Amino acid sequence: MALIATPAARPAGPGSPAADSRLRYWLHGYRWMFAWDLADLRLTLPVLASILTLQGAGFVLGIGLLYRHIPQAAAAFVVTGIPVLNLITAGLIFEPQIVAGQRTAGSYEFLQSMPVPRSMAAIAWYTVALITALPAVVLTLVSGVLRYHLHLDITPAIVPAILAVSFTGVLMGYAIAHAITTPMIAQLVSTALIFVLFGFSPVMFPARQLPLWLAQVNQWLPFGSMATIMHSALGISEASGTGRAYLVAAAWAIGSGLVAAWAVGRRR
Amino acid sequence: MALEEDLWLCRAGRGVSDAQPDGFAFVPEGTWPMVSIGRPDRRRDRADVIGQSAAVPVSATPGQDAGWMFRTADVTKVYPNGVRANDSISLHVAPGEVYGLLGPNGAGKTTLVKQVIGLLRPTSGRITLGRYDLVADPAAARQLCSYLPQAPVPIDSFGAREAIVLCGRIRGGDPVLVARRADALIEALDLGQWRNKRGISLSGGVKRLVGFAMVAVCPGRVVILDEPTNDVDPLRRRLLWQQVRELGDLGIAVLLVTHNVLEAEKAVDRLAIIDNGRLLAEGTPSSMKAGDRGQLRLQVMLVPGGADPELPGFVKRSTRAGHHLMAVVDDAEASHAIGWAQDLVGTGVAEEYALTATSLEDAYLELTGHGSSDGGEQG
Repeated sequence: MALIATPAARPAGPGSPAADSRLRYWLHGYRWMFAWDLADLRLTLPVLASILTLQGAGFVLGIGLLYRHIPQAAAAFVVTGIPVLNLITAGLIFEPQIVAGQRTAGSYEFLQSMPVPRSMAAIAWYTVALITALPAVVLTLVSGVLRYHLHLDITPAIVPAILAVSFTGVLMGYAIAHAITTPMIAQLVSTALIFVLFGFSPVMFPARQLPLWLAQVNQWLPFGSMATIMHSALGISEASGTGRAYLVAAAWAIGSGLVAAWAVGRRR
Repeated sequence: MALEEDLWLCRAGRGVSDAQPDGFAFVPEGTWPMVSIGRPDRRRDRADVIGQSAAVPVSATPGQDAGWMFRTADVTKVYPNGVRANDSISLHVAPGEVYGLLGPNGAGKTTLVKQVIGLLRPTSGRITLGRYDLVADPAAARQLCSYLPQAPVPIDSFGAREAIVLCGRIRGGDPVLVARRADALIEALDLGQWRNKRGISLSGGVKRLVGFAMVAVCPGRVVILDEPTNDVDPLRRRLLWQQVRELGDLGIAVLLVTHNVLEAEKAVDRLAIIDNGRLLAEGTPSSMKAGDRGQLRLQVMLVPGGADPELPGFVKRSTRAGHHLMAVVDDAEASHAIGWAQDLVGTGVAEEYALTATSLEDAYLELTGHGSSDGGEQG
């Protein structure tokens, strides 16, 4: 019987083109983990994107139902803050839920055994989360502009703003998902953070409306800074301290990244 | 980087042979696949494949793949809760060898392979593949080894063929070769009717076979299979074992974790029996059974709810698993054993009996004192 030959992994050996660089290895890992994530989530990504859109548009339109008249400045502040929710929710909520599902189903270890750099797997997921959230961001802003007749001054800074906010949220979610090994607790923590984000962070309202101590605490928490970044990129005049906001968000991203790196590299 | 030069790619072009009956044969350059190691009786088959490829590295250094020997040396794993899951386990698997890790549930088999793939860290000891220290470099372990875990593979959203191809591409396989290999595996495992079905609609056994194909489509130098036949129907189990053997024929070291002794006996070249984290015995299936030469196994199916029969003096040892009573007797006592069993049937204590040659399972039972969970199965 003929052997079924196989494209087996092999040593390149002297003189071979094994000189595939580490960069090429990383890019390969990124490309195929991105493809894996897209295929893996093909049934749920449209639903996730729809949820984010409903979340954003629902807030925008819902605020208008609460108050008969909303000042333009207040409406603009709310509308330009909600995209932060869109961007963070994709990373902070979905990743812990997805990983919790993998742990429960027992498939987590198969995915961890894949021969790709784990940093690239994380970046692939970041790309997926960004793609999932972007339509919601756009539709949230469009619905806000239409509902409240706003004139947003969208600056080029919107690009790094979206990338930075999403990146920080994804890394925070990644850290929670992989560092907390009990699926239920990971899901609860990420859900609790969303409540903090909604209720106690100056995302849809200015920090000055918080009690002083909470406003000071929020100076060191990521959500208010993310909102500042987004407000600034969308031309909200109240946004100040954008540079500091980037630094705070970057600090959280780096911290979360370190935790995530420790968690995915940890071997019990 | 040495590792990049040594592995992760399954490169295109080289080794595609139009002379192969299935249209291709991948024969990577350099020293892979090897012509010198593995099971000597299969070496010629492999050489034949190589001989048909225009890209064959005929100058492959004889014996060089001995450098790809997989070894564990005094591997000990103590979990934080104090459980000693592995206790100084040393073994080796040559390229081309199918090596079974047998033992009852909780013996420490899965713990051992998780340390190989870098999911767990040994408390002490070394795990090496050729010149690579897999404990020190878990990223290399993931690239050099392919792993089918005991749990289902996460393919609910994937078509069966799509998942297989994607795994091959993730491992760096050439698109054409991976596609052909995926189709060949689907055919070999008789999965054609589920080729494009989503994983969510597949049965556990079919999903298991797809998982095997995902691992085998572009395998590493070591393929680790943790209970690969779970939930698989008897017909396709045979096909699966055939493919496991063919992985060995291609020069890949296969580390097979199972508690199904009867199946393992037919599939492995060598095996280790592990219990309570310790390696109790190691050798070929024949050598394991050597101690039972001149002995027979009397298997009696007792009537449910009946009392245990009193064992006659010629029974050397016995094990009870459910309604099955398995007794080992000297072959000189065969007529007495048959007479005793017939009496049990005649008096309504037993329903039927069988006298057969001893199997690996008998040696396993003697070593571990456990019944294998599939012990009554003849598949």
